[in-house]
Amino acid sequence: MAQALLANIRFAGLASCVPRRAVSNLDCAPEKRLERERLVRNIGIQTRRVCETGQAFSDLAERAANELIAGLGWAKGDIDALIVVTQSPDYVIPATAIILQDRLGLAHTTLAFDINLGCSGYPYGLYVLGSMLSAGCIRRGLVVVGDKSSNPESLDNGLLSLFGDAATVTALAHDESAPRMYFDFGSDGSGYEAIIIPAGGQRVPLRPEHLERLPGKDGIPRKGTDVILDGPAILNFSIREVPPAVEALLAFAACSRDQVDYFVFHQANRMINETIRRKLALPAEKVPASLHDFGNTSSASVPVTVTVRLREALLSGPRRLLMSGFGVGLSWASCIVDLDRPVLSPLIEA
Amino acid sequence: MDTIADFIANFTTAVDFQDPVELRAQSVLVELPEWDSLAALGVIVMCDMEYGVTITGSDLKGCNSLGDVFALVAARKA
Repeated sequence: MAQALLANIRFAGLASCVPRRAVSNLDCAPEKRLERERLVRNIGIQTRRVCETGQAFSDLAERAANELIAGLGWAKGDIDALIVVTQSPDYVIPATAIILQDRLGLAHTTLAFDINLGCSGYPYGLYVLGSMLSAGCIRRGLVVVGDKSSNPESLDNGLLSLFGDAATVTALAHDESAPRMYFDFGSDGSGYEAIIIPAGGQRVPLRPEHLERLPGKDGIPRKGTDVILDGPAILNFSIREVPPAVEALLAFAACSRDQVDYFVFHQANRMINETIRRKLALPAEKVPASLHDFGNTSSASVPVTVTVRLREALLSGPRRLLMSGFGVGLSWASCIVDLDRPVLSPLIEA
Repeated sequence: MDTIADFIANFTTAVDFQDPVELRAQSVLVELPEWDSLAALGVIVMCDMEYGVTITGSDLKGCNSLGDVFALVAARKA
């Protein structure tokens, strides 16, 4: 069982950036209105923020990082590590973290690398960076988490209505007075096909025919480079794995539900999130959501929810959060983190 | 386990039909006005939360009628 705790790590700050362009799932022909209203009612997503053509995930990340660094008052030369958790890199190679080191003006002595994870990525990013900072040799670091998941050219209506784009940056610092963080991790590669871009990797190298739209098993025309989602498989996985993982983490941390101020889950869709909440018997007021206004923002959905729904509460006093991500892989991870008035930028639009 | 009438009531709520639909055990799933991926997700959640039974997308594809879904849930619950 992969469970872990981290000592000496302070959650110093968070900034989230979304594209300025808002797209409504209710923006449709009048004859489609009832159908779209049913969709919005059930997936819980009315509006999504979508990158303009040419706007990359790293552009949002750069903006968020600069605002957070300024808010923290950190000298760029004092940032020792930069980790990027994304499945929307600027290039296949090199890693986006290294490019961002230069764009942000960080020192050449900065440690930088990418982690290829999606919806489960936020707790993983915190854990990897926190592990490096815990010993104290590396003192300050940033973890950039998020994706550009929207694909306005897609003909898959289910996909089109689901994803929004966002980048977040979290700052961690070595601090021997900080409370412990607790983590629980899981992986099930047998479900790798549930969320997949089939072509373009080493297993299925990109060929010209992958750029043509061909009908899939469900009849929807897709390119080989488009995401394919198996909705029922993702639902089965999420409601099977996440509630017991949360219970296991609470037991590992010797923490009751009442000792957690907020449970922040990956924003998958309303049906999945409501089922997880009900299975865990959590009151709705302790489970904030950003789905309605931002959609499923992949690994950014947990920190985006913190920014847009919890900023005032977190700035008013110490709070304990249980945060949980789950999805592509299949992969999941949860963590318990105490925040004591960190630097929290208001939502940034770019 | 519920009666088929109770199951149909739960199924109707889970699918979230746009217009009222009269359902029977013999109703063929693919002929329902909103038998789509959203409906499948709703029915999977309903089976889990109301009956404590896990059914998959493949299970639903193997069902022809609403009565088949009821029988599958009843068999797994037994």
